[in-house]
Amino acid sequence: MTRPLLEVSHLFKSFGGRDGLFRAGRRARVVNDVGFTIGRGETFGLVGESGSGKSTIGRTILRLLEPDSGEILFDGQDIAGLSRGDLRRLRRRMQIVFQDPFSSLDPRVRVGEVLAEPIRLHGLREGAAIEARVDELLETVGLAPHHKTRWPHEFSGGQRQRIAIARALAVEPDLIVCDEAVSALDVSIQAQVLNLLARLRDDLGVSYLFISHDMSVVRHIADRVGVLYAGRLVETGPVGAVFDRPSHPYTRMLLAATPSLAGRSRAPAQDIAGAPPSPFDAVTGCAFASRCAFASDRCRTEEPPLDTFQAEDHRAACWHVAELPPLGPEAAQGDAAMSPAYRRRIDLLRRAQAGSPA
Amino acid sequence: MQPMTRPGPTDPRDGPVPADDVLSIRGLSVGFAGFTVLDGIDLTVRAGELVCIVGESGSGKSLTALATMGLAPPGARIAADCLRFTGRDLLPLTERERQTLRGNEMAMIFQEPMTSLNPVMTVGEQIMEPLRQHRRMGARQARETALAMLSRVQVPAPEARFDQYPHQLSGGLRQRVMIAMALVCRPRLLIADEPTTALDVTIQAQILRLVDELRHEMGTSILFITHDLAVVSEIADRIAVIYAGRIVEEGTRDDIFDDPQHPYTLALFAALPRPEDKGRDLASIRGQVPGPDAMPGGCRFAPRCPFAIEKCRAERPPLLDMPGRAHRVACWRAPLEESVR
Ligand SMILES: Nc1ncnc2c1ncn2[C@@H]1O[C@H](COP(=O)(O)OP(=O)(O)OP(=O)(O)O)[C@@H](O)[C@H]1O
Ligand SMILES: Nc1ncnc2c1ncn2[C@@H]1O[C@H](COP(=O)(O)OP(=O)(O)OP(=O)(O)O)[C@@H](O)[C@H]1O
Ligand code: SF4
Ligand SMILES: [Mg+2]
Ligand SMILES: [Mg+2]
Repeated sequence: MTRPLLEVSHLFKSFGGRDGLFRAGRRARVVNDVGFTIGRGETFGLVGESGSGKSTIGRTILRLLEPDSGEILFDGQDIAGLSRGDLRRLRRRMQIVFQDPFSSLDPRVRVGEVLAEPIRLHGLREGAAIEARVDELLETVGLAPHHKTRWPHEFSGGQRQRIAIARALAVEPDLIVCDEAVSALDVSIQAQVLNLLARLRDDLGVSYLFISHDMSVVRHIADRVGVLYAGRLVETGPVGAVFDRPSHPYTRMLLAATPSLAGRSRAPAQDIAGAPPSPFDAVTGCAFASRCAFASDRCRTEEPPLDTFQAEDHRAACWHVAELPPLGPEAAQGDAAMSPAYRRRIDLLRRAQAGSPA
Repeated sequence: MQPMTRPGPTDPRDGPVPADDVLSIRGLSVGFAGFTVLDGIDLTVRAGELVCIVGESGSGKSLTALATMGLAPPGARIAADCLRFTGRDLLPLTERERQTLRGNEMAMIFQEPMTSLNPVMTVGEQIMEPLRQHRRMGARQARETALAMLSRVQVPAPEARFDQYPHQLSGGLRQRVMIAMALVCRPRLLIADEPTTALDVTIQAQILRLVDELRHEMGTSILFITHDLAVVSEIADRIAVIYAGRIVEEGTRDDIFDDPQHPYTLALFAALPRPEDKGRDLASIRGQVPGPDAMPGGCRFAPRCPFAIEKCRAERPPLLDMPGRAHRVACWRAPLEESVR
């Protein structure tokens, strides 16, 4: 078996202390013993509470942040202790698309230059070929060549995010960390970008760490998924298994809180109440215990390891997996949950779309 | 049948603006040197109502919000037949008069928290500012009110966060701080531009619930901009679908979700990933939004619409009521099942 492209093990990361940003002596423990792998051409989805450490993990993998401890192997190579030159070469193979398209583009650089610069920097094209590649990249993300001369502030949020994606693609990377990369996009552009990411994966074998709050998007794009809570992975596995048979109470809460197009199906307030523990506070036992309807004394004192529940590649860190209530009957999903008039017209549209040239 | 030839019996453009409208926008156009972005937007937000604007990225949703707040970017040219807030005409107001409204009676949560939070002010200072400025609160009372608001928007350890700077917060925490800032003066109108985009679903659900509670408690009206159609489905009273600077469909939540009419609205729904789409391409809309300098005549959606006919390219379809309802659609071919075989 070939080695995964990315192997992360026992990753820890905390902030604070030294620089005096926090009160003396308080450190925020943001990532706690996280491990996962991403194969070539594989998409690993990362979901979880806001502040649970998803972006921190993404940034640490690219060594934009230094981990406290733990190992990150990219293509078998430990990224800690790389020389500057090696790190630069590695940076070409790993790209990140950030959550916030507003702060990730330099306002003083025209869009054409945003894309041309990395191509030149890494010597990927020369002369007129650079220009052609820039046009191609713009087209790939649904923008036009005339956008080259415009400034970032002249674009809407979704348009800027597409520029950021084009910039990541410019260097033909092996791994792209997509940190909420499609969250700012409207659904049509989102569909376009997801189709594009899938195509790059299928044609070029690009791998993704796909961080997102949108469960239906993660379900669509990811092969495997990890659920993060308070800096700990509480459930991982194939995306179908995790979403259809969620085995950690937090994953269940997450899915119950997901809004649905059919609407007005909101989970009762008590089912989604509470907040994760502060990263400043030491947690004993299961980090979810304070919000968990199934928590016992054991949960509050002893931390369940990720393999407490294990069914092939599907794992969950919960002492009470076996006693969780059975999942309710599956609610209608997709078009089936919608009104007859909705279904009739969507059908008309899908048929018309199929009949007219793309 | 030709429903579009019917007169619009409830066209809000007829007659005077009803007194209970918190926000009435008629014929709002916004342009920049050489091109127009918004082309005659009509929008009403009634007291206590939650109206959603959905639509393609770049279609002018944020500009609609910014123009209403008096915060349009420099160089923007704004024209409107009517732009009224709780009966007051906003157009002739001076910047100073606008400032007394902003953050007080009308507040906004911005799409980009990092550019609207002040990087050199602590979270606490920023939430206390409107209280001190508009409510003339003393330091202690402002601090207590601000802390209470931080806990209401579910910021864990509010005391610790109070003295932190925006860059020390996660995206979701920043957004919750923005929400606390916007609501702390209990505004009549809250404009929320993608307020939950950065939040995870459990916090999003809590925030939406909270916004809903506060709206009932304070009678705040909300103009909510988002592209998350599932969120819209759960919270909206009414919805305006906007494409290339024009409203193409408008109606109640049930009108839009149970009886969607406009091909663009349908195309949005069709682009959502469904479980059955796993491993397949999603249905994106072919082509792209026309550039503001190259707007097609007639229906602006025509170049991308699989139902377009000659008439669509020649004549602009008016936004008209569906028979007997206040559900308005701007499409020559609606209802589709009667015109498409
Ligand atoms: N530079 C920093 N200094 C101090 N604390 C930080 C820093 N960066 C992040 N944190 C803290 O680390 C925690 C995790 O942040 P992170 O951005 O990784 O969360 P996230 O899971 O990506 O959340 P979101 O979904 O809101 O983007 C948060 O509590 C945040 O406040
Ligand atoms: N300062 C500006 N100068 C020139 N054009 C601008 C400016 N601000 C916005 N625009 C243009 O106006 C149009 C509408 O922008 P707006 O930000 O309102 O879009 P939006 O509907 O909010 O999109 P998104 O969903 O991506 O946020 C876009 O085409 C954008 O390029
Ligand atoms: S008016 Fe014509 S082009 Fe426009 S949406 Fe309707 S069918 Fe399509
Ligand atoms: Mg993040
Ligand atoms: Mg916007």
